[in-house]
Amino acid sequence: MEMKNMSMRSQVYEWDASRGTAMTVATSVGNRTSIFIGGVGNNITKPAETTATEFVVIEDIAMTPSLGTLSTIPSGVTVRGLLTGTTNDAAPADNGIAGPRGYVQVRINTTDYFLDPDNIPNDGIPGAASPYPRSINFQPSFNLYPDVYVLPGQVWDALVTFYSLAFAGATAAAGELMCFVKYTLYDGPDALIANKLLEMGISINPGNVDWYKRSLLQAQA
Amino acid sequence: MSMRSQVYEWSNLQANNNQLRRTTSDLPVAIVASREYDIFTGGLGNNITKPAETTATQFIVIEDVAASPLLGGAVQIRINTTDYFQNPDVTDMAGIPGLASPYPRGCNSTVDTTLITAAAIGSQNTLKSFDLYPDVYVLPGQTFQILYSARTATTATSTEIVSCFLKYTLYDGPDALIANKLLELGVTINPNNVDWYKRSLIEQQQRSRAVAGGQQ
Repeated sequence: MEMKNMSMRSQVYEWDASRGTAMTVATSVGNRTSIFIGGVGNNITKPAETTATEFVVIEDIAMTPSLGTLSTIPSGVTVRGLLTGTTNDAAPADNGIAGPRGYVQVRINTTDYFLDPDNIPNDGIPGAASPYPRSINFQPSFNLYPDVYVLPGQVWDALVTFYSLAFAGATAAAGELMCFVKYTLYDGPDALIANKLLEMGISINPGNVDWYKRSLLQAQA
Repeated sequence: MSMRSQVYEWSNLQANNNQLRRTTSDLPVAIVASREYDIFTGGLGNNITKPAETTATQFIVIEDVAASPLLGGAVQIRINTTDYFQNPDVTDMAGIPGLASPYPRGCNSTVDTTLITAAAIGSQNTLKSFDLYPDVYVLPGQTFQILYSARTATTATSTEIVSCFLKYTLYDGPDALIANKLLELGVTINPNNVDWYKRSLIEQQQRSRAVAGGQQ
């Protein structure tokens, strides 16, 4: 159904590696996987992109958390709902990590958003810092502010990387590796205002779009 | 993008010393008691290629630092050669305890290393008692270090995994200039105040134009 009268819309996308084509753990570990078109988990039909009249503001991104335990804890033990895992070596060793040791990076066109202090792109936000789902055991240390902007005509992606074989089987089961993105889609006139705010160097959020509309109305009065 | 939210996570997990990237072969390595480990270039765990520093057109605001609450872990911020957290008698200290600013939030503060079961991990959820406010500023041209230390060494037979987390905002180009201006004005540097400064410049311009239009 087309939504014609809503020019600012809050949107979410949830990815689970077990849905659709379930992810084969051994081939994906240590590699970046797109949550939109990675070919595993639930995917969409084409890369996420904005049209000439759209503007996307990514406001939150989160993924399955992890927890460091002990080097001697065997793999396959459940700690706070997460399985402990092993390395991906020829001779796998228990690594003492509960959960996938996962990270999520935002990519706009070909540029990674999160960088190390030496300006080299890193793996992105740790699931331990921005957990999904949130629980008493796993709470966020990270808040994506300032937001990430996807300008008209740009392609964007969220790339998941995990380093621990903390899965019950050879393929991912439900909830073992998930990612969540919250964004606001500005369309039509509001996308124009978003562009204007960007030009002025002002943060794009519903409050500032409203402020700009109010200032236009006041200027007319 | 002139204001960007950035994070850095460090753990005592590595396959080799002086390792730059995380790998799927990483295993826990021992931590020595009371030694300060630079999470960027300390040689242990995941590291970066050079010391963290700002260029002439960059301004960094550190908004959160956190560490594993295990083993009396603590985290200190060093700007150039000056430690940020000090004792009341102006002597050195380890920094913010992981118990006050835990990472991950909700994690356990103890582990029973002799009883390796899930229950031995610790049932409590450590929440933060500390909020890094006011934030810590790294001015253009400064070098900064984040130093993790543990009061107790990791156990020889069963190494605990400890982590450290840093959240900061990188202001670049014009926004770094505004950040400097806000610093000069004594106003807190955060995205909201940078926005406010820009808006006030724009509104000032609009008023000037309106006055000029009225005089003609």
